[in-house]
Amino acid sequence: MTTQSHEASRRSFLKTTGAAAATTSLLSTAVSARAYADEKNTVQLALVGCGGRGTGAATNALSVDNGPIKLVAMADVFESNLNNSHGNLAKQFPDSDKLEVPDEQKFIGFDGYKKAMDCLKPGDVVILTTPCAFRWVHYGYAIERGLNVFMEKPVTADAPSTRKMLALNEKALEKNLKVAVGLMCRHCDARRELWERIQDGEIGDINFMRAYRMAGPTGSAAAPPKPEGISDLMYQIKHFHGFLWLSGGAVSDFLIHNIDESCWMKNAWPVEAKASGGRHYRGDSIDQNFDTYSIEYTFEDGAKLFVNGRTIPGCHQEFASYAHGTKGMAVISSSSHWPSKARIYSGQSPDKQNLAWEYPQPEKHNPYQAEWEHLIDAIRNDIAYNEVERGCMASIVTSMGRMAAHTGQVMKLDQMMKLDHDFAPGIEELTLESESPLQPKADGTYPIPYPGLVKNREYA
Amino acid sequence: MRLSWTIVSLLFAASFLSNNVLTAADNAVPQATTEAAMKPYAQPIAQTEAAIDMVPIPGGTFKMGSPESEAGRNADEGPQHEVRIDPFWMGKCEITWNQYEIWGEKIDIARRKIFGSPATPNDELADAVTRPTPPYTDMSFSMGKQKHPAICMTQHAARMYCKWLSVKTGQYYRLPTEAEWEYACRAGTTTAYSFGDDVSKLDEYAWYEANSDEGYHEVGQKKPNAWGLHDMHGNVSEWTLDQYVPDTYANRKSGVRNPLVVPSKLFPRVVRGGGWDDSATLLRSAVREGSDEDWKQQDPQIPQSIWYHTDALSVGFRIVRPLKAPSDEEKATLWDKTAPEQLDPVVE
Repeated sequence: MTTQSHEASRRSFLKTTGAAAATTSLLSTAVSARAYADEKNTVQLALVGCGGRGTGAATNALSVDNGPIKLVAMADVFESNLNNSHGNLAKQFPDSDKLEVPDEQKFIGFDGYKKAMDCLKPGDVVILTTPCAFRWVHYGYAIERGLNVFMEKPVTADAPSTRKMLALNEKALEKNLKVAVGLMCRHCDARRELWERIQDGEIGDINFMRAYRMAGPTGSAAAPPKPEGISDLMYQIKHFHGFLWLSGGAVSDFLIHNIDESCWMKNAWPVEAKASGGRHYRGDSIDQNFDTYSIEYTFEDGAKLFVNGRTIPGCHQEFASYAHGTKGMAVISSSSHWPSKARIYSGQSPDKQNLAWEYPQPEKHNPYQAEWEHLIDAIRNDIAYNEVERGCMASIVTSMGRMAAHTGQVMKLDQMMKLDHDFAPGIEELTLESESPLQPKADGTYPIPYPGLVKNREYA
Repeated sequence: MRLSWTIVSLLFAASFLSNNVLTAADNAVPQATTEAAMKPYAQPIAQTEAAIDMVPIPGGTFKMGSPESEAGRNADEGPQHEVRIDPFWMGKCEITWNQYEIWGEKIDIARRKIFGSPATPNDELADAVTRPTPPYTDMSFSMGKQKHPAICMTQHAARMYCKWLSVKTGQYYRLPTEAEWEYACRAGTTTAYSFGDDVSKLDEYAWYEANSDEGYHEVGQKKPNAWGLHDMHGNVSEWTLDQYVPDTYANRKSGVRNPLVVPSKLFPRVVRGGGWDDSATLLRSAVREGSDEDWKQQDPQIPQSIWYHTDALSVGFRIVRPLKAPSDEEKATLWDKTAPEQLDPVVE
């Protein structure tokens, strides 16, 4: 309670930005010429994809307090998105040092990413926060321009673009570009300590993990019928969680965090997925998602990860990940993304009397902010930093579970990596007038998965 | 007297536990025009399985705030002053997920569609009331739903729920004012808690830091206060209508009737009663707390949602229904008045 002087409520925390300085080495101003070139030490940013998360990422970026940083260019396919975003940033950073985006550096259109990146110098940072279908296109250009990158998760929705991203990333590594992927749970202090403890054997060998993101209708996963006056392409982008080519749908966009944090604790990626799911309550929604997904992942050593995702209103809700080992169990996260409330119990059930360790509460370092501090720190101090490979693996593993549910087949990782179903052929050529790679049927609905009937691709 | 009320409300509740897929599309609740005629009742929500138990709160006068001698007292709890309150009904418990998600997750609309039952005129009006954008996360934070209190909503969301419920039921429901809340919480007492000053009894009445096991609990399990209200202390802090202004009491005339500080800023606004994560002293009847922007800390979207406080895991609300429903003008100038206007961003 910042307004009063009496005993602080638990609901009030330190401001995240204030807490940051205590936890990361942000005081160094030594700058490597290779890392970035601006003689005034200013890191310039361009924002490509100005939705809510993109604006949030820009806010986190501009809140990093280890040297001059400013936003100079923005791009989106919706003018209102860009204007709302700029307006909101202006409200947060009335100090114009941080926000210098003249009108001629605001770009509307599918080629806006190039123009926005052209406003930057090598060593600056581009924020890629469009739906993930465009990620490989934008990443390729960022590498060409010698830019450091922050990209949101997921980074791919299908196998061909995963292969493209991994190939592109070789060039980024050669150029020593610093590239962050928005799997922010990896930057959470509590989870990092838990990871250390698990590697030290505190719960023994992990043989079973379970993760849940069971909630009501989420994001734009349910897309209502398209109104008049907007093209299929633009409507789909507006409801990108509803369409597999854009986002990988509810599985890729929502479940990836719990899948990734579980695999991180296990230090491995699963090699196989079996899954089920179905559509019971889509009503007149025209999206391609199921209401519910249950995925069983198997690791090389036979260990299992069970993932439950649901977007049905009125049901039990849970957003948490747990690891069970031969000597005990760990709570990886139990309260949405953050605070993690990481804990270790000596038995298989989280009973108070079995509590062996817990991360001290309250957790003060918001991982959304931490991931930016780590990236900018790496840029200013020329520390090797590239999260793309694990971002790709998290994305394809998540897609493997999604495809297992959508086809009703067992999916293996090596088979998954080789698939040739490109969800968005020709995406690099899209314009505001283009037809969408996904065409509606005559009744305005879209192709949906038919497990067991359509087995080799997720929709036909 | 209270015993017979309990039986009446049990009978009401029982009538909504029938095996019909849909409960009777009947929002009829006992009408009363005088304080003497006010009885407890259960407000059904048409075409759903839910009902909200309401208990009558008699009109009267009380001393708002705490005496300087009260242990743990904060400056904003004084000076004590006389306040007059008109009669109203108040939710016996905090609004639960079962009651809240009907609006938040459009359960009523889904049930009408699935079971093919037509919308009543009230339904049609209620369908036009704004509902929240879907959240990105489980807003119960894995602590349990159903009879657990709904949490993490902004005051705007709680107000909008009341608006929807009013249209849906044909009765006027709103959040309590800060003064109504404290009056109802005290239930005639002048002590630190509604059961006296003995903090060792708090466990019988409230979920808080010492006994909550780090989460909220199903509503109505602890002892009620003298007016039959459960969980006024603890479980979750509860929204009121007012802007939080630390020196409100100093600037108030004694004897004021139904005071309200109409909000003109988003923060801070008043929550009352303390929650499962608060210490005993923060659960006192007189404690005032203002909302804070930190309550949105982990909302990664900008602009942050007008509907959710992602970090207010111990903030919920309960509803009231004044005996005398206000005129449209009174609603516009007092009870429903709030600024700045809250609108979701529109992407053309």
